[in-house]
Amino acid sequence: MSATRYSATTGLVHEEPLLFEQAHEQHEAMALPGCAAEEAPSPLASFLRQKPAGIPGLSEPEVVRHFVRLSQWNHGIETGFYPLGSCTMKYNPRVHEQIARMPGFAQAHPDQPEDSVQGLLSLLFELQQALGEITGLPHVTLTPAAGAHGELVGIMMIRAWHDARGDDCRRTVLVPDSAHGTNPASASLAGMRTVELKSGPDGQIDLTELKSRLDDRVAALMLTNPNTTGRFESQIAEICDLVHQAGGLVYGDGANLNAIVGKARPGDMGIDCLHINVHKTFATPHGGGGPGAGPVAVNEALAPFLPVPRIERQGEQYRIVRSCPQSIGPVFGSIGQVGVLLRALAYIRAFGRDHLHRIAEDAVLNANYILHRLKDAYHVPFPGLCKHECLLTDKFQNRHGVKTLDLAKRLIDLGFHPMTIYFPLIVHGAMLIEPTETESRRTIDAFCDAMLEIARACEKGEVQPMLDAPTKPFRRRLDETRAARKPVLVWPERANGSSADRS
Amino acid sequence: MTIPEHLLYTKEHEWVRIEDDIATIGITDHAQEALGDIVFVELPAKGRKVQAGEAFAVVESVKAVSDVYAPVAGEVVETNELLESEPEKINTDPYGEGWIARVRMSGDKVELLDEATYTTYLEE
Amino acid sequence: MRFLPHTEEDRRSMLETIGMTHVDELFADIPERFLLKPGTLELPEAASEAAILRHFGRAASANLHAGQMRCFLGAGTYHHFVPAAVDHVISRGEFLTAYTPYQPEISQGTLQALFEFQTMIARLLDMDVANASMYDAATSVAEAALMARRVTRRDRVLMAESLNPRYRAVTENYLARNGGHICIQPADAFDERDPIPSLARAIDDQTACVIVQYPDFFGRIHALAPLRAACDEHGALLVVAFSDATAFGLIEPPGHFGADIACGSGQALGIPMSFGGPHIGLFACRQRFVRQMPGRVCGMTEDAEGRRGFVLTLSTREQHIRREKATSNICSNQGLMCTAIACHLSLLGDAGIREVAMRSAAALQKLIEQLPPAITPAPGAHYNETVLRFPDGKLRDAFIRAAREAAIFAGIPLETLTDRQTHAADLLVATTEIISAEDIDDYAAVLHRTLEPRK
Repeated sequence: MSATRYSATTGLVHEEPLLFEQAHEQHEAMALPGCAAEEAPSPLASFLRQKPAGIPGLSEPEVVRHFVRLSQWNHGIETGFYPLGSCTMKYNPRVHEQIARMPGFAQAHPDQPEDSVQGLLSLLFELQQALGEITGLPHVTLTPAAGAHGELVGIMMIRAWHDARGDDCRRTVLVPDSAHGTNPASASLAGMRTVELKSGPDGQIDLTELKSRLDDRVAALMLTNPNTTGRFESQIAEICDLVHQAGGLVYGDGANLNAIVGKARPGDMGIDCLHINVHKTFATPHGGGGPGAGPVAVNEALAPFLPVPRIERQGEQYRIVRSCPQSIGPVFGSIGQVGVLLRALAYIRAFGRDHLHRIAEDAVLNANYILHRLKDAYHVPFPGLCKHECLLTDKFQNRHGVKTLDLAKRLIDLGFHPMTIYFPLIVHGAMLIEPTETESRRTIDAFCDAMLEIARACEKGEVQPMLDAPTKPFRRRLDETRAARKPVLVWPERANGSSADRS
Repeated sequence: MTIPEHLLYTKEHEWVRIEDDIATIGITDHAQEALGDIVFVELPAKGRKVQAGEAFAVVESVKAVSDVYAPVAGEVVETNELLESEPEKINTDPYGEGWIARVRMSGDKVELLDEATYTTYLEE
Repeated sequence: MRFLPHTEEDRRSMLETIGMTHVDELFADIPERFLLKPGTLELPEAASEAAILRHFGRAASANLHAGQMRCFLGAGTYHHFVPAAVDHVISRGEFLTAYTPYQPEISQGTLQALFEFQTMIARLLDMDVANASMYDAATSVAEAALMARRVTRRDRVLMAESLNPRYRAVTENYLARNGGHICIQPADAFDERDPIPSLARAIDDQTACVIVQYPDFFGRIHALAPLRAACDEHGALLVVAFSDATAFGLIEPPGHFGADIACGSGQALGIPMSFGGPHIGLFACRQRFVRQMPGRVCGMTEDAEGRRGFVLTLSTREQHIRREKATSNICSNQGLMCTAIACHLSLLGDAGIREVAMRSAAALQKLIEQLPPAITPAPGAHYNETVLRFPDGKLRDAFIRAAREAAIFAGIPLETLTDRQTHAADLLVATTEIISAEDIDDYAAVLHRTLEPRK
């Protein structure tokens, strides 16, 4: 079998200099509408910028070609499989882009009169209702800008709930050692102290460890279910009961909601508060890092503490409520990442009550299928049923001097984006693979074939291609040590040849 | 991996050399190897009073961060400013040019191990 | 279901491969009492793409928007022109549907665009370095306050009242849970006096930073030099916030005044208003504070063959490595907006940015010149935003209604933003290069008409 079979990178790949290296004298600025002026208004005279910023102005053909060439060095979900565990990289429907760009949405100002944006507010309200129903936690804020922001908002609400009961010594948040790094970081930002919970030998929450950590200072347990090893915490009801009996609340990290969407509801299991990464479960594009949106859904007890502004329905009218007595207050400059939220609603509408559960069914089927095909070639730290992602390690390949990073880079040469590597932290050499529901069997089989080929090559001692990988993309392995030792974060040269010189 | 005989060690993988009331402190060869390429060292401020066992410096590689704990109590009298421009000295010469700080001792120490005990500790 | 590629046969045979006969077996690890019966959620039924377009299209057409209305609204969101090429570039699937560039060899497009973005933002603000974005201006200001506290190891944060009340509220909210002492220095849009010297006097040896907006929330421009001097005297950081970054095409940027941190909105640089988001928070600082900076950052390096390339760097500040001790909890940011801004700014160039700013300022100037005598504009130098004081709130509201009839969003009632009843006759008004001379004539005409019956 030839390795080139999977190759993704052939053909015309252009080198493309930085915009600053292409700068040339700007003949004419872009034609603009509005009020032409020869001189700045006189009150501004003493404030005028003396030195131009040094931003190269290029013609439209040059700019478009520059960025389209850059785009060609990127991998996206539209280009191919993106099996990043914990990231839920699924296909982003194109109709979402049309929707977000409708002028009634894209050109609406956040402070235009409420009665002039009723259409938009009705959709946002509809999304609140849908997310409440899907999670079993009926009260929803759409405001948080991303998952981590949702975590912060959730922990702020939990803290406010304890404080309102006069229980203002509860400042500890329990976070499993397998959790996303955002969990402890968000808890800290909310002014809480984090205590790490050691996972059991099966990667699950260890009830004995949990019990030993629960006391009258614990405000909450932050938990991801299915957890970051891809497995469902089957003792979820017992876990929630224990925390509740100790006077704490349970925060759910909804990053893995794709495994159970439409099949089961976190609210029914005893979770009090959950954020939803709509850029994961509800197919809004990741944009090379963002924007996302992280709505938070809560139960009755936490509802009074939701942030403002809120969207409420009063009769036939939708209102933006900017002040509520027990609210934790504003956490963002506007009502939320509206363009992202509209896309999420469109995904929910497309599946509807008839098909929503099929998201989880196909996602879980695909992950288990991959696990089954790879389980003899790669070490599986926690055998058994997985949910929407499966966890492998490099233990077998280590014997041949190959580690997870090499396996990941080799996948690139075979035409696949690597899986998530070295996460969760509790598993040495972790490889976390999440196929999502939008990949075809053909793609999944090709990925498994490539993984098996790598494993076979290791067994045969053909390890050099792993250590050299990747060799096919536009750039080989990049020197991250150099980047971190002497950080160069801006282009130092100016158009006139001088370099920026400030400290 | 080297573990010089004339130094003392902590279970957190610092080494310490005591001359009169001055303790020179760094991280061991084992520690630098576990961290990988060191890219940044956050040095303590001169004059800072530290407790024995207090985190007083930070060593960073590309994808890991490690606190350095003061093995002895006292006042920071000198720091290795060379590490600001060449943090890699901790990788290449952990017991020499890669030293981190000197502390004028007053009071407590954490448990310090001799070379043989530290070697056994690492093997465990 | 058009987003699910498997056929029933695929599913059957894949289940068979893993030794199962029914899909329910895949969920055997979920306690049965929690499993839902398919189709029982209270959601609308599945909709075709055509039905979805109709549903959303109807809602969209029920809104008024800046495509039909002349938009004089600001307060942190501005209706600047965005060329089609910008939207085209960020619609490319390779930018739009990429993940965070953790595998740099196959993400050089996003990474180079980020590096170009960081460079342009640093240059526009005249700062040493910029990060790869925060969520929005409000959270960017809050993060700046937290960073200043880390750098100075002090608690007291001093804010001018002329900082956008939403930035202020979010910052207070972030600080309140972290033992911060917040101090607000009063400022009023109609006070003739320069508020900067009194703000400078409020800086003391416990102050971590002073946060001042420039141009301020009322659109007024102040010389910030006294703040720099007071910060130097007391070892505090100068944090300069901003709302409409096009200003720095025309007036001196935050770096000119020696800002330690410059933070604010980048929405004006090529991002649609979208009812408040997604926008983007810009964040720039001095090189020497870079290891205390929040958020992702892209750096230049070389690959194994010595060719230039880019990577995410200084990651040890971030949550995935430093966890509870991270400089921020931010993970997803506004990545795509960085690409949009890099594209937009390169289409404009220095000359274009200046032109945008000139026209935005000229429109405001022209509007002020046409105001009837009964309307008082706020004193001082203004860029593209100001406050108009009406004889009373009723007249102001009558004008807003009449303007809307003439397809004009005339401004934002100030008290809805500041929560102060003393602002109940004030209107916050902003202009951009999209506002034409005719729009201003129409605005003035409606204003004169509304005031006439009083004569």
